[in-house]
Amino acid sequence: MENLAQIAMESVNFQAIMPSLVLCCFGMVLLLVSVFLERGRTAPICWLSIIGLVVTGIISINGWNDPQAGFAGGVVLDNFATFFNLTCLIAAGLTILMSDSYLHREGYPVAEYYPLILFTTAGAMWMASGTDLMTIFLGLEVLSVSLYVLAGFFRGQLRSNEAGLKYFFLGAFSTGFMLYGVALLYGVTGTTKVAGIAEAIRLMPDASSNPMIIAGAILLSIGFLFKIGAAPFHMWTPDVYQGAPTPITAFMSAGPKAAAFAAFMRVTYISLDSLQVDMSAMFWVLAVLTMTIGNFVAIAQKDVKRMLAFSSISHAGYALVGMVAWNEVGFSGILFYMLVYTFMNIGAFAVLVLIGKQGEDNLTLDGMAGLGYKRPFLGVAMAIFLFSLMGLPPTAGFTGKFFIFAGALKAGYVWLAILGVLNSAVSLYYYLRVMVYMYFRDPVEDFSWVKMEMATIVSILIAIAGVLYLGVLPGPVMELAKLSIF
Amino acid sequence: MATVLFYLLGLVTVIATLLAITRRNPVHAVIYLVNSFFALALLFYLLGAPLVAAWEVIIYAGAIMVLFLFIIMMLELAPTPEADRMGPTWWQWLPVLLLALALVGCTLMLIGVDAGVAQGVPRWYATPRDFGFALFGKYALAVEVVSFQLLFAAVGAFYVGKPERKRRQKKEEGA
Repeated sequence: MENLAQIAMESVNFQAIMPSLVLCCFGMVLLLVSVFLERGRTAPICWLSIIGLVVTGIISINGWNDPQAGFAGGVVLDNFATFFNLTCLIAAGLTILMSDSYLHREGYPVAEYYPLILFTTAGAMWMASGTDLMTIFLGLEVLSVSLYVLAGFFRGQLRSNEAGLKYFFLGAFSTGFMLYGVALLYGVTGTTKVAGIAEAIRLMPDASSNPMIIAGAILLSIGFLFKIGAAPFHMWTPDVYQGAPTPITAFMSAGPKAAAFAAFMRVTYISLDSLQVDMSAMFWVLAVLTMTIGNFVAIAQKDVKRMLAFSSISHAGYALVGMVAWNEVGFSGILFYMLVYTFMNIGAFAVLVLIGKQGEDNLTLDGMAGLGYKRPFLGVAMAIFLFSLMGLPPTAGFTGKFFIFAGALKAGYVWLAILGVLNSAVSLYYYLRVMVYMYFRDPVEDFSWVKMEMATIVSILIAIAGVLYLGVLPGPVMELAKLSIF
Repeated sequence: MATVLFYLLGLVTVIATLLAITRRNPVHAVIYLVNSFFALALLFYLLGAPLVAAWEVIIYAGAIMVLFLFIIMMLELAPTPEADRMGPTWWQWLPVLLLALALVGCTLMLIGVDAGVAQGVPRWYATPRDFGFALFGKYALAVEVVSFQLLFAAVGAFYVGKPERKRRQKKEEGA
């Protein structure tokens, strides 16, 4: 019996999981509340979930500079985790704001949608704050399972079904790879703690030639690379992004990706520090491959949603450049870039949500012709997000890429930085093409169906504010990102 | 003795798994998979992990295989009644019979082996008590996260699996 008391004293520290705990409680309460609302009435759930996100955000911010470890070293709520938590919360908030009118338009006003987004965000938080491969893996699972459902949420639509099923099968497969990697690393080092693995590898004289460690590191990386949609594990991205409900696509490309980067960075930077040379070389190849494939295939796309899916692959490639650099500038660059990407990409998808018709939200380029004159506000908003995605000043896309490539240059990867900039130049082509259609083509449609939904407009305005603020005054947030590196 | 058993069981596992993934009849595949799990369980026992061996049988060979059978029944993947009346032929019986006999033989041989000692680990490397403390102490968060996940996996499965009759009817009425 005294053992039990001892365990309870030592390991339980609810402070360390407070944000995710609050989010989960909100999710469960919302599930209960939704039972008592009449069918199809989702607005109260929507607003309650926003309140939940704000409360969680305040709790997260209160934990800044006050690192809390808990559960026998299974989680730690440090600045790094808090930064990513806030990024995911922003992504979830912007997504929920644009969701309610969209769900009603598409004929799926189902209350379960919002708790599932909250649970996904909680999973993302466990990933970002996990210091045990077990916690990270379970966080990934929580995040993935909710996303499988959300991707296939329009269960009457074949496209959405396909997205959910494809994501589920490939996701489960990649999770298997990751778990295999965890098992191998555990087999060599005898621990699943991130810091413990680092210690064990450091003490091993021939770690970088130990086949179990190499196989473990590679398999573990595959799991993360799948989640961030890096080539050659990007095959699922276009179909899933195109088929999933547009707000979910926006969320998937920002929040979960940021969480996967967080866990990936923690594991590689701490656990596999001794293998830096080999890992950096691997990331170099992957980063170039991911950027190039994403950009060149995006050129061929006629469908704007699918084009943004490929562009999200190339953006994962830019972020991977920060992993190659393996220094403070590169890592804080990734943190900054993930925040920037959240604003600009979700903003672009929010515009797509508004200009989509019921049942056909996959807008073709022709369908966007003349949008800039028919709907000036949406045109300008889309233009700002596209400029940011291109990486042009004074938008946040420029500063984000600048920090990441600066990290690569500082580490001596001149060619990588050059390839990255060249890739950005390629991406100008397909982003600018959307602008050309919006402003220099005669309108085919009159966009009379577009309803300016208040909540979605708010979401777009927040995203614009974020893009411009981070673009013009990146200093304060960049400082926070630097303070977040462990 | 332990080495012989190890290779024997390894062989049974590989053969059973190969047969499981090549059978066209899903029920036959499940039977081979059960064989493979039993062989794995004996391997765990041989390595000095009787607790893991017990779970392998209870969870994998027991619970998960029943789940497989449920799904086969629900999707009606099993062969048609005509094919069923003929019953499996003797060459379909033979491999599974041989594998099962091999497993029974190995189990009897295990009586004479001091499990785990050959690998230099104590017979009870992890007692149920140790395991319980590790699970609800060191990995308490993991247990909680899994229980959370089960909750909303159920919510998601319920939502996705619910038939969509009302919507279809409405559409038809509209058209």
